[in-house]
Amino acid sequence: MATAVSRSLRSPRVLIALGMIACIAACAVFAGFIAPHDPGDQNLLSTLTPPAWAAGGDQNYPFGTDSLGRCVLSRLIYGARTAMLVAIFASLGAMVIGSVLAHVSGYFGGALDWIIGRMVDVWMSFPPVILSLILMVGLGVGLGKIILAIILVDWTRFCRVLRSDVLIVTRHDYIAAARLLGFTHWQTIVREVLPATLPLLITLVSLEMAIAVVVEAILSFVGLGVAADQPAWGQMIADARQYVYQSPWNLLLPILAIIFTVTAFNLLGDGLRRSLDVRLAEAGR
Amino acid sequence: MCDSPKRGARTVLALQAKNLTVSARIDGAVVPAIRGLSFDLAPGKILGLVGESGAGKSMVGRAIAQLLPAGFAVTAGALLFEGEDLAQMAPARRRFLLGRAIAFIPQAPMTALNPVRTIGAQFDEHLARLGEDSRNDRRERAIAMLTAARLPNACALLGRYPHQLSGGMCQRVLIALAFSSNPRLVIADEPTTALDVTMHPQILRLIADMQRQHGTAVIFITHDLRLAAQLCDQVTVMYAGRAVESGPARAVLSSPAHPYTRCLQLANPSMRAERRALYVMPDQMPSLRQLQNMSGCHFAPRCPLVTEECRRIEPPTVAISAGRMVACIRAAATSGIASAQRPVAAPDISKRPVLQVEALAKHYAIGRGLFATAHTATAVRNASFSIAENEFVALVGESGSGKSTIAKLLVGLEQPSGGRILLNGEDLTDAAARRRALAAASIQMVFQDPQSALNPRRRVASIVTQAMEAGSRHASWDERLARTRELLGEVGVAADLAARLPGQLSGGQRQRINIARALCHIPKILIADEIVSGLDVSIQAQLLNLLARLRAELGFAMLFISHDLSVVRHLCSRVLVMYRGEIVEQGPIDAVFDDPQHPHTRALLSSVPPDAPETAWSSLDPAVPTE
Repeated sequence: MATAVSRSLRSPRVLIALGMIACIAACAVFAGFIAPHDPGDQNLLSTLTPPAWAAGGDQNYPFGTDSLGRCVLSRLIYGARTAMLVAIFASLGAMVIGSVLAHVSGYFGGALDWIIGRMVDVWMSFPPVILSLILMVGLGVGLGKIILAIILVDWTRFCRVLRSDVLIVTRHDYIAAARLLGFTHWQTIVREVLPATLPLLITLVSLEMAIAVVVEAILSFVGLGVAADQPAWGQMIADARQYVYQSPWNLLLPILAIIFTVTAFNLLGDGLRRSLDVRLAEAGR
Repeated sequence: MCDSPKRGARTVLALQAKNLTVSARIDGAVVPAIRGLSFDLAPGKILGLVGESGAGKSMVGRAIAQLLPAGFAVTAGALLFEGEDLAQMAPARRRFLLGRAIAFIPQAPMTALNPVRTIGAQFDEHLARLGEDSRNDRRERAIAMLTAARLPNACALLGRYPHQLSGGMCQRVLIALAFSSNPRLVIADEPTTALDVTMHPQILRLIADMQRQHGTAVIFITHDLRLAAQLCDQVTVMYAGRAVESGPARAVLSSPAHPYTRCLQLANPSMRAERRALYVMPDQMPSLRQLQNMSGCHFAPRCPLVTEECRRIEPPTVAISAGRMVACIRAAATSGIASAQRPVAAPDISKRPVLQVEALAKHYAIGRGLFATAHTATAVRNASFSIAENEFVALVGESGSGKSTIAKLLVGLEQPSGGRILLNGEDLTDAAARRRALAAASIQMVFQDPQSALNPRRRVASIVTQAMEAGSRHASWDERLARTRELLGEVGVAADLAARLPGQLSGGQRQRINIARALCHIPKILIADEIVSGLDVSIQAQLLNLLARLRAELGFAMLFISHDLSVVRHLCSRVLVMYRGEIVEQGPIDAVFDDPQHPHTRALLSSVPPDAPETAWSSLDPAVPTE
C-alpha cells in the first residue's frame, strides 16, 4: 500500500488533480475569509455588472454581479462549499452502502449474492437522474436531502463494480488459508479481502465525487436542490439563464467552475486507477 | 509435396547449432540467455535438451521459430537447418519451412488449438496450406493421420471442438497435425507436462513411433533426466544458458560427468533404491539479472566440487570420450558425489489414529434450473481411511479423481454429503467440533500454488504468524516477530526476509513460507495439496527433506496429495490410490507399489520412467501393445 501511495504521488495526473482539488477545497473551507462579499448581500444599484476586466466593470465585484446585484465571485466561492460537501458525503455514503453489500455479496455468494444482485439490477433499471428527481420531490430540498438522494441512487455503481473484484480476490487460496488459521468471516473480509479491493474502492470514490458534483448541479438547476438562500452552482446557472444576452459571464463562470471540479475528480480517478492497479502500472512501464 | 533441398547423403545435419548465443537486454546491459550452445542433430535422431526452469532450454525452440520474447535476439553463432541459417534467412523462406519442414508440439495442448473451430476445420486449413488441393483428399489424410495418432473414431472427431476433448486427446491431435507435413524436424517442448501422469507414456510412445515412421529428427525439451534417458539418442544438459554436458543419452545419465547432472540425478527421488535423504543443491539457478555479475563457472556457488579456480575462470567445454563433451574442470571427481549415506530415519509412528475418515461422500448438484432436471455429480464416494500420529500418508490419482475435494472436505472448505471425519475422536462434521478444531488450528492445509496462497500485500512476518491474529487472539508484534524468527529458522529461510513481500521471494522460498504459516500453531495433521509439483527438482528435494526433518522435530501427521509416485514413495509410508472419486487401493507403499492390484495403480506406476537409464521402460517398448 505504501508503495502504491508513493507511486500515485509520482503520477503527474494525480498531482495536477490534487492541486486543482486543493484550490476548490481551500475556497470551500475558507469561503468566509476569501469571499469579498456575503453571497446573499444584494446591491440593487449595480445589478448585472460585467466582470472587472470587461468594459464597465467594477473593481468591487471582480466577476461582476447577478440580476439581484449579488457578488458572483462570492457566490462561486460559497458554491464550492456546497459542491464539496455533496461530493464528499454523497460519494462516501454511496461507497459505504455499495461496498458493504458488494463484499457481503461477493464473499458469501449463494442466495445472498443472488438477492443483492437482483436488487442492483432492479435499481439500475431506473434512469438515475429521474430517480433522484423523484426522490427530491419526496424528500424536499436541502443539502442533506441531496446527499441522501445521490447515495440512494448511486450505491449500485459501487456494488456492481466492486463485487466482481471481491469475487476474484475471494477465489485466491489465501482467503481459504485465513479461514483455516481461525479468522472469522469478518476478519477475513476486513484484513484479507478489503486491502485487495481498496485501490478500486478509492478510484471509484474519486469518480463518484465528479458524478455527485454534476448531479447536485442538475438538481439545483431545476430548483430541487439546496434551499434558495444557499448558493450553489446549478442555481447560479438557472438564474443567469434569463439574462444570458445581457451578461453571458454569469452563465459561463459557474459552468466553468463545474467543469474545473469535475475534471479534477475525473483526472484523480484516472490517475489513481493507473497507479493503484498493479497490472496497469506494470504495463505502463 | 515440399521442395526438399538436395540432401547430401550423410553430410547434412537436420539441425546444427554452432556457438549459438541468444542475448537479452536488461536495464541497458546485454546479458546472454544462451551462451555458445553447439549441438549436432542428425536426421532421424532425438536430441534431449534437459535442465531446470531458467536453464534456457525453451529459448532454443523459440530461436528456431524466431519467436524470441521481446528484448531477446540471436547475437552470435548460427542455427543451421539442413545447412541454412534460420536466424539469417529471408522471413518468407522461414515461413515456408515452419509448419512444413519444421513442426512444433506445444506444452499446453488445450490452449494451442483454436477453441471456436472444429478439429476438422483446423486440420483442413493446415493441409490446404501444405498444398493439398482436393477437399476429399484433405479429409482422408486428416482421418489417416488422426488414426495413426491412435485416436479412435477419427471421422467423428473431425466435427468436434477442442473443449470436447481431453488434454491427452488434444495433444494427440497436435502430434497428428505436426507430423502431417512429413516434417524433417519436430520440436517438442515439454509435451507431457500439462497432462495427467497416466497419459505420459502414451504420448511419449506416440511421439517416438511417429518419429520412427517418418524418420524425423526431434528436439525433445524436458526437465526429466530419466525420461530423456529413455526417449533420446543424445542429450544436452543445460544450466544457466550453457550446455554443461552432452553426449549419448544413456551414457550421460549412467555416468554423469558434470557435477550438475550428478546432483540433479541424486536430487530425484528413486522408485527402487533404499530411501535416504535426497541430495540437496543449495540455493537455486541464477537468474539472468544475477548472471550479469557472475564470473567463473555459473554452477560454482552450488557445486560440491568447487575450487578457487572454478570461481575465477569459466571452464572450457572439452571432449572426455567419443561424442561426450563436458564443461567442468573437475569432471574427473564427479562420480564421487554421493548423497548422505544416512537413510531417512524410520519415524516413530504410533498406532493411535489422529484422523479417521468413514464413508466420506460429496455430491454436487449440476444443471439445476427452471426447466432442467437436477443431476448430481459425485466427486467423492465412500472414502474411508485413517492416519496415525506422525504418519505421512499419500493420496495419489489423476486430476479429477477427487483428491482435492477430499482435502477441502477434511479442512472444512466444503461440507460433506455423507460420512464422518473424526479428528482425535471428535466428529468434524459437527459444527461446534469444527469450530473448536479451527480455533486450535489442529488441522491445517498447505496449498498448491504459493502465488495464490500468500496474500501479496502481507509481509513474510505477518503471513507466517497470521494465526496469531486470528479470532480473539491478539499477540503483540514482538511476540509475532519472535515466532517468525523461530518459524523461518525451521523452514530454512533467512530471518532477514521477514520484512519482504511474497512477490520479492523465489518460488522455493514462497513454498517454504506457505509451509511455515501452516506450522505456526503446530497442527495435528497437515493436508498438503500438490505442494512440490511445479517446482524444479532441486527445490523439490530441498522441500522433501525439509518436511521429513520437520516431522522429526515437531511431530505431525500429513496427508500428502500428489501425482508423482517417486516423491510419494520417498516421503510417505502409506498410500491411498483414488480413481473417479473412489479410493480403489490403499496400503503400505512398498506393498502397493510392488504388487499393485487395481488397474489404475498399475497405470500410475507404469508412467514413471525407470531410475537406471539402462533399464528399458516397458511403456515405451514398441513390442508391447498399448491398451
